[in-house]
Amino acid sequence: MDPSVLIGLAGVLAAAAPVLFAVIGETITERAGVINLSLNGSVLLSAMGGFAVAYLTDNLFWGFLAGMLIGALVAFIVAFSSITLHQSQVAVGFVLALASRDLAYFLGVPYMNIPGPTLPTWQIPLLKDIPLLGPLFFRLDIITYLSYIVIVLAWLWIFRTRPGLMLQGIGDRPAAAFVRGANVNRLRYIYTIIGGAIAGLAGPAYTLNVKPGWMGTQTGLDGIGWIALSITIFGGWSPMRAAFGAYLFSLLQWLGLVLQSRLPGIPSQVLQVAPFPLMILTLLLVNIGNAEWVQRWLASMPEGSRRFFTKLLRAMRASPPAALGVPFESD
Amino acid sequence: MRTRLSTLFDALLPVLATLAALAVGAVMLLIMGVNPIEAYAAMWDGAFGSGNAFAETLVKATPLLLVALGICISFRGDVINIGGEGQMIIGAVLATWIGLTLTNWPGWLVITLSLLTGFVGGAIWGGIPGLLKAYFNVNEILSTVMMNAIAVQLMNFLLRGPMIDPSQAERASKIPQTARLIEEFHLARLVPTRLHAGALIAVALAVLVYILLWRTTWGYRIRAVGQNPHASRYAGIKVSRYMVLALLLSGAFAGLAGAVQVFGVNYRMITDGSASGFTGGAGFNGIVAALFGQLHPIWSIPASILFGALLVGANKMQRMTQVPSALVTVLNGLVVIFVVSSEIWRRRRQRRRMAVAGPEETPPPPVEKKPQQAEAGA
Repeated sequence: MDPSVLIGLAGVLAAAAPVLFAVIGETITERAGVINLSLNGSVLLSAMGGFAVAYLTDNLFWGFLAGMLIGALVAFIVAFSSITLHQSQVAVGFVLALASRDLAYFLGVPYMNIPGPTLPTWQIPLLKDIPLLGPLFFRLDIITYLSYIVIVLAWLWIFRTRPGLMLQGIGDRPAAAFVRGANVNRLRYIYTIIGGAIAGLAGPAYTLNVKPGWMGTQTGLDGIGWIALSITIFGGWSPMRAAFGAYLFSLLQWLGLVLQSRLPGIPSQVLQVAPFPLMILTLLLVNIGNAEWVQRWLASMPEGSRRFFTKLLRAMRASPPAALGVPFESD
Repeated sequence: MRTRLSTLFDALLPVLATLAALAVGAVMLLIMGVNPIEAYAAMWDGAFGSGNAFAETLVKATPLLLVALGICISFRGDVINIGGEGQMIIGAVLATWIGLTLTNWPGWLVITLSLLTGFVGGAIWGGIPGLLKAYFNVNEILSTVMMNAIAVQLMNFLLRGPMIDPSQAERASKIPQTARLIEEFHLARLVPTRLHAGALIAVALAVLVYILLWRTTWGYRIRAVGQNPHASRYAGIKVSRYMVLALLLSGAFAGLAGAVQVFGVNYRMITDGSASGFTGGAGFNGIVAALFGQLHPIWSIPASILFGALLVGANKMQRMTQVPSALVTVLNGLVVIFVVSSEIWRRRRQRRRMAVAGPEETPPPPVEKKPQQAEAGA
């Protein structure tokens, strides 16, 4: 394979890390039945905060930790106002998305456009020499490796452990989980905060690695939270499928950039905007199987094609946790 | 007496919430080494200090109110429209196009046509996510956000290409803006300030939206679908249709806000590449204003004026004290969080009052009240 393509694809993996952390964090939160709509703001705030802390302490570790803490803090506000204060998750999350975005731009002014620490590449010995896979996966940096691990761990936790089963329970049938002895609201607090902390890695992964530095409104991170929320749905609340979505998105972005340099005739806005209609289209495909009229249409089909379309729709379909966004009261 | 006091207290809650947000802002100002009293004085002066300042506040409040009216409709129908920014842009682009094309037509006709076009443009941009939600189950929060991004790039493309000011196209600078609307097409100024007729239109529409929501079948059905889609379905309401209608109308008001901005304030469209470069964030802040106004069209009027004042005052504060005006958007968010949290407080006290009154006297859950509690958040 052409080495430049391989380097490009490896770049896609690294560039996907921020989206990936946001998506996995949100997937965990939503599995517990809580929507953290503040993602766009908290990612920006953690990006700014993570960079600022890393710059001030000249230590990358503190930067990433600060990002996680910021993500956890915003998630805590969402959890507190929705679980304890019984407020609408959507309203609080949306307001937080705006407020923390503006807070990031507001507090980030002193750190704008200054060179700061960046994550060095760290090639994994032995693994880096595997043909093809080595240069693709293992000549990157530690945060990208962490993103691989997070996918696998999140998947294992949700689908292969007992507490993970309980996590699915509090998102799907909180009343049943409660009867089984789960403290639903406390668990929801915990998973919302953990999800927020993982999503909080997205910010520093961007400002300390993918595109180092804080550039205020020019940072290019604005909007990524909304994309991540869509990919969470596309991913059907499974870390594996969500990760696939995140990589696909990152790949499409990269292809857009490549195409732009090859095809100067296309207005630059077309490629900049392409991810968004694509996202709407994927959301449509993922949800179309649940639509009533599609079910009716399927029923009117001849046997053979009906089986084919039913299978196809089922493969694409993603059903949310049944109690997503629904508050739980134990009385 | 006690109940009257509590009613008064309830009415004052938003004010208290605002004060609490300002107090948090004061702490932030102190941390930054700025005297908060000075900063807030500058803010007050900038927003209400003179006739001109107040007019400027109302100019900023106008698009907020228009967007907020749409939000009152959609949130009461339990569809969340976050696409105000994009809907404003599309409304403005289409209205500007009419205004720049029909230059030989009489002014009143072109203004009417343009505003209607803006209304329709916003309706289309809001209607698409509505259809996607109603018939394809696509989450409207996400699709409206995506539609914002699409609208911004569409605007950037049009203002750099097909709709660029011919004089800019000849020059090397090529500032992405349209030509200026001719004088006859400007919305009338009310007093010798920048205040324009759009403010009156917005207030009149607030009354109309109130009538729509509480005095018509459409409005009743939108609210019914918002409160309980299943019950509405059994009652024979076509739920999907009213979801689309709610988003469509919501988008229409935002589109009108965009058109009014062009014909009343800027007289042309200009882009800095971002959505807020044109809208000034009104598509988002309108949501905040509507939430603050308890999703009631009439209460949205003072709410919009408050947020308009915060925005205008922030500019003055920035000039006087060098505090970035972005502080105000943080304050906006805080105000809403406090308002929303104070709602729970109100409800808790209400419950306690009922408990004191005893079970026999417990009134059935007030039908009209219930939505308000639900949506103060939703």
